[in-house]
Order: sequence, then structure tokens, then C-alpha cells
Amino acid sequence: MSTARHHRSNRGLFDQHSLALEEPRAEPQAVTAPVLKRLWFCIYLPKLSLEASGPGGEARAVVVEQQGIHRVLLASTKAEAAGIMPGQSANAALALLPMLHVEPRSEIAEQQALENLSCWLEQFTSVVCFADTDVLLVEIAGSLRLYGGLLSLRQQIAAGLEQQGFSALLAIAPTPLAATWLAKSGRRACIRDTANIATALRTVPLTCLDWPNAVCESLSGMGIRNIGDCLRLPREGFARRFGPRRLIELDRALGRLPDPRTSWRAPERFCADYEMTEEQSDRELLLAICRELLLSLERFLLTRQLGVQRLLFSFFHLRGPATQLQLGCTEPERLADRWFDLLRIRFEKLTLPEPVISVRLRGGHSQAVRAETRRLRFQGKAAGQGLRFSMTQLAERLIARVGNQSVAGVTTVAEHRPQLAWRSQGLLSGKKGNTVSAMRMGLRRPLWILPEPVLLPVDQGYPLHQGRLRILEGPERLETGWWDEDGIARDYYTAVNPRGMHMWVFRNRSHNASWYLHGFFG
Amino acid sequence: MRRDSSSLEKLLENPHLWRGHGQAHTVPGLSSGYEALDRHLPGGGWPQCSLTEILVEHYGIGELRLLMPALATLSAEHGNTENANYAEPGWIAWVAPPFQPYPPALQQWGINLSRMLIVRPKNDSEMLWSAEQALSSGTCAAVLLWPDALDDQASRRLQLAAEKGNSWAIAFRPPMARTEPSAAALRIELLSSGEGTRLHILKSRGGRPAVLHDVI
Repeated sequence: MSTARHHRSNRGLFDQHSLALEEPRAEPQAVTAPVLKRLWFCIYLPKLSLEASGPGGEARAVVVEQQGIHRVLLASTKAEAAGIMPGQSANAALALLPMLHVEPRSEIAEQQALENLSCWLEQFTSVVCFADTDVLLVEIAGSLRLYGGLLSLRQQIAAGLEQQGFSALLAIAPTPLAATWLAKSGRRACIRDTANIATALRTVPLTCLDWPNAVCESLSGMGIRNIGDCLRLPREGFARRFGPRRLIELDRALGRLPDPRTSWRAPERFCADYEMTEEQSDRELLLAICRELLLSLERFLLTRQLGVQRLLFSFFHLRGPATQLQLGCTEPERLADRWFDLLRIRFEKLTLPEPVISVRLRGGHSQAVRAETRRLRFQGKAAGQGLRFSMTQLAERLIARVGNQSVAGVTTVAEHRPQLAWRSQGLLSGKKGNTVSAMRMGLRRPLWILPEPVLLPVDQGYPLHQGRLRILEGPERLETGWWDEDGIARDYYTAVNPRGMHMWVFRNRSHNASWYLHGFFG
Repeated sequence: MRRDSSSLEKLLENPHLWRGHGQAHTVPGLSSGYEALDRHLPGGGWPQCSLTEILVEHYGIGELRLLMPALATLSAEHGNTENANYAEPGWIAWVAPPFQPYPPALQQWGINLSRMLIVRPKNDSEMLWSAEQALSSGTCAAVLLWPDALDDQASRRLQLAAEKGNSWAIAFRPPMARTEPSAAALRIELLSSGEGTRLHILKSRGGRPAVLHDVI
């Protein structure tokens, strides 16, 4: 309490219990647990509504309707040079500069721009917060080491923002509110220590605080114009007069009260549109657009360390339903090149009934990408020749062209009924390998099997297939499956016909005892 | 005598004279598992990185049995040491097989089923495309295909893809194809009757035509 003397002013009435001095609760030093030090990077985008809707090079102005009159909210540098000021009516602005590009404010575009920026910022930290419609807060304490220190990180973010066409005011402080206020006041402040916050905020005008106008006006009527003045006021009186909320905000800014923020999470599913100004039927151009979309998908997935197995392209037409194109991959994949490779194969065969007005890319459920260590290839032929593409890539290419149903692996099943002793295995299922060990089978099995046994004609008791069959081996009796619908009772034989074809034939043990052909010994 | 031998040597020195053998044994083949056949194939086995054509009239006369030992070697987990091309066991692609290859039988022959890839294209152009992709990918050790028709150009493409991907293409064709030109390194015809199967080596790059009885 000894520092009270420093703040002694002509307003003796407020001296004793001023805001800056009194701790909010009575246990200041009791708990000395190591506090996780936080550092908030505030990005304030004062010209967001202008920059979100287009490039800033031209003479443009964003207008909002106020009491029936369109008034200029923001004007580009070129427009400002011609004398156009915020608050002017749109008509007046057009009179000053007839070539002025006047646009209504689009809050959706602003929100979209903020989300895109947040996606981009997620490469620097995992905590990105939307503080206001034009303020982003990024927690960077944990990222300093990785990005080579505070100055380097700040520089990287600033350069990235500039590259993306945003003019931003940046400030760094240990509390989110302090960072926001400092950024809004236009000070390029960089405070690392909580103790220095009060000093830095002292000269920040109250207009930067987003307090209601009535509060600001009555404070300024009392001659209080900046935070420093405010902090000299007594706590109780201040809270009573202007509401406890204001007091809490000040305490939070100074780091006396915790200020928890919820981090924005990017959506887990990717969805992006590409709108064209006019209908297009040039397939090369459409492919190039798809490639753009795939590249943004890649960036999206890369920041999340995710991959997708399915993608859906929708080509929208002015009339009629959209044309859909679905792509699949054997394992979660994010590389745009690989997707593009698959797309090209499918796109060749895609018929577009009409010109396309927009393209949408929707990612399927995203999954974590499993990083794999590859086997080192040291020398010899393998190193030089290398793989053109892996098995999964080959399977994807085949599936893309031939269809999912037509590409498969096989596996055996522990089952005595020949038609059930195997099944095909989708390559996209991700299950690999065959774990069922070979059954001990007395007799050979044929290399070719028919999907359904074929009834053989019989001549004087001998089955016929391009000639009379001669039995070589058998019988092997298979009588099983009585517990379900597909029970069999068969005697299997190996037979050969006069042309030398070796066949696997069987005879039902039931009353009619017909002969059936079930496979060939290829 | 002396004059004779020197004139022969002189003749052999003539660069315009091309000698057929000599290049034959540069690449060792993959043992077929049938000794009689290996003896008649240049390199002592199936020529790798190339196209082999097998002409068959009927199915079920041993056309697959002929290949099984070699395919088992290719798909085996550890591979054979001399064939260091495949750091991993190679895949075996079946493109447009006429029937379903029966996994229990493949397993009886020692084939690694986890390395089977069965492709059923809808038409001939898709079939050739799939075979070419599989051959040139570098992951398939062998690609078996059953084309309806295979012209000279298509067989050349398969041959090139096999060279590029370090793979082995095996095309099964009807006996009529015998008269058609082909880029295959090896053409074999299987003729069967009630008594057994004869094997004709019709064309063998670096080897000689032959007729073998009772190989399989």
C-alpha cells in the first residue's frame, strides 16, 4: 500500500482506496504455485471490412446503412486521398470520386476472413481466440522457442499478415485484455512481465476499451481520459457507479483476475467452394480449379496432422442438379498431388451435362495420419530403379478407373465348404494379410473355381464336359454345414476329359445324385 | 585345318556378322520349378522384366500349375536373395482372370495370399490400362492377364511396361494368336490331350524353339 503516495493527485477524495492499489481479494501472497506464464499476441484488424471483400489497390469504400442513409464506414487509401472520409454519405463520396467502388459491408465475408486467418495462425500456436469482430488473440508463450524468440515470431506473423493483404495493429502482453487495448490504441507494445502492464496501459485512452459510450462520456466529464486516470479511482465507488463489470475488466487486464478464453477450433471437415463469374465448360480450367481446391485441402489437413480417405467434388450447374465425383484412397491421405492424380483418372470419364458455375470440394471424415518409417534402400538395383508408386497408390489408381468392386485381394476362411473357404477382401478396408492358416486338406484343390457349380449332362452314367470324364482321384467326402441353410453332402472327384482338362467335379449324396462341375485344375 | 580355322576367326571378326547367342545369358531367369523347362529356357528360367505369352486352348490343362512355383517364390515373405529387386515381397496381379482363382489352392502351392491383387476390368482397353499400370508401378512382381485380343502394339507396350517396372507380364492367349506378331520375349504353347500336356517353346529370345513332353 506504500505506493499510494506516488498516485496522490489533486483528487484527494479518491486517494485512499484507489483502483490501482487494492487487491481484489484478501489472499494475495498465500498461494505461490508456479503460474503458467502466458503471453498474448493481439492482432487488431481495423480495416477488416474493407480488406475482407477484396484487394486494397483500387479506390473502394465500404458503406453501412444508418437511419436510411448509406454512410462510408471505411475507405481505401486511394479513396481517402480523394477526400473521402468515414461517416460521409455514399452520395457525397460518389460526388467526390465518381469512379469510387461502393460496396455494402459483408459481415459474412469478414467472419470468413477471420476464420481463414485463424486457420493460418494455427501453425504458430494451438490457442487462437476470436476476441471481437476484428480482433484475434493468439497465445504464444509456448511457441517462442520453436519460432526463434518473440521478435522473430512477431516478425513472421506480421509478414504473413501483410502478405495476405491485411493491415494489422499488433501488441503483445501477458493478459488478453491488455494486449487488445494496447493493439487498439496503436501502440506497438511488447510486454512480457505482468508487473509492467499498468505502466504500459497508463496512457491508453478509454476509447480503446469498448466500454459503452455513456460510461466513457461520464468518465471524460470527470476528466478521466485514459486508463492511468481510471486506475487512480477508488474501487468501491467505481464499481458502484460504472458497474462491477468494468472493474473486473480492469483487474483482468492487469492480471489480477484470471481471464479464461476459449480457443477457437477449426472445423474437422474440409469444405470449400470455388465460385466462377461465368459458366465454364473448359475441362482443363475445371481441373486447374480442382487442383486449387486440393491444395487448400492439403494446407487444411497439414495444420491438423490429418488425412482424409474420401473426397467429394460437386460441380454445380445453373440449371439441373450438381454433378458429383467421389474419390477414395486406401489410407488417410492429404497430399494434393496424389489426390489430383486420382482425380485426373476419374475426371477423364466424367460427363458434365452443362457448363459449370461453381465447384465444391468436401472432405470426408478426417483421420490422423500415421507416420511410417520407410525401409532404407542402400544400394543395388532397388535404389536406382525405385518404386514409381506404392501398392496403395496403384490400388487407388485402379479403383479410380475400374471401380471399387472390381479390385480386390483374397483371403482364405477356415471353412470346409469349398464355396465358403475364401472371400475377397476390399483393398480400401485397410485390413491386410491373411492370417488363416492352410487347412490340412487331403486332396488337392483346383486353382480355378466356378462361382456356382454347373450341372453336367450325363451319358450312360458318365458325366460329360467336352467329352466323357474319367475319374482320376476321389472321392473326397465333404458333408458339413448341416447347422445352417447351406449344408452340403458331396463326394468330390478329380476328373479329366479327352482334351486333357482336369476338373473338380462332385456328386450330391442326395437321391438324384447329379454330377456338377466346380472348378478346373489350371 | 589351320587355314580353315583362321578364316573362321576372320569371319567372326566381321562386325556385320550378328551372333544370336552371347547376349542370352546376361540376365538369369527365375527358376520355373520344373527342371526340364528350366534347361530349355535361356538364363535357366522364366525371363524376368519382360512379357511371356502362354497360348492355351482350354483352361484346366496346367497353365497355372506351370507358373505356380515361380509365383510362390516371388510372393514369398523373404524373397530369394538373388532377386534383390524386391525389397518387399512382390505383389501378383491377376487382370481379368476367366474364373475365380481359388485361394485355398493358391495356398497349397505356397502363394502368399496377402500379396494377391485381382482386377476385373469392364473392357479390353481398361484391361490393358490396368495391366500396364500394375507392371510399371514397380510393386507388382508378376502380372497375369487374359486379354481378348492383343495386337503387336499392345504387346510392345506391355513389354516396355514390364521393363520399366521391373516386373513380369504373363499373357494367356488362344492358340490362334500363334500367327500374330508379338513383342513377347517368350512364347509357349500348351497342347493337351487325354494322355498329357505337351509344351512348345515357340519363341524364346536368346534361346531355341523346343517341344517338351510331360513337364507338368
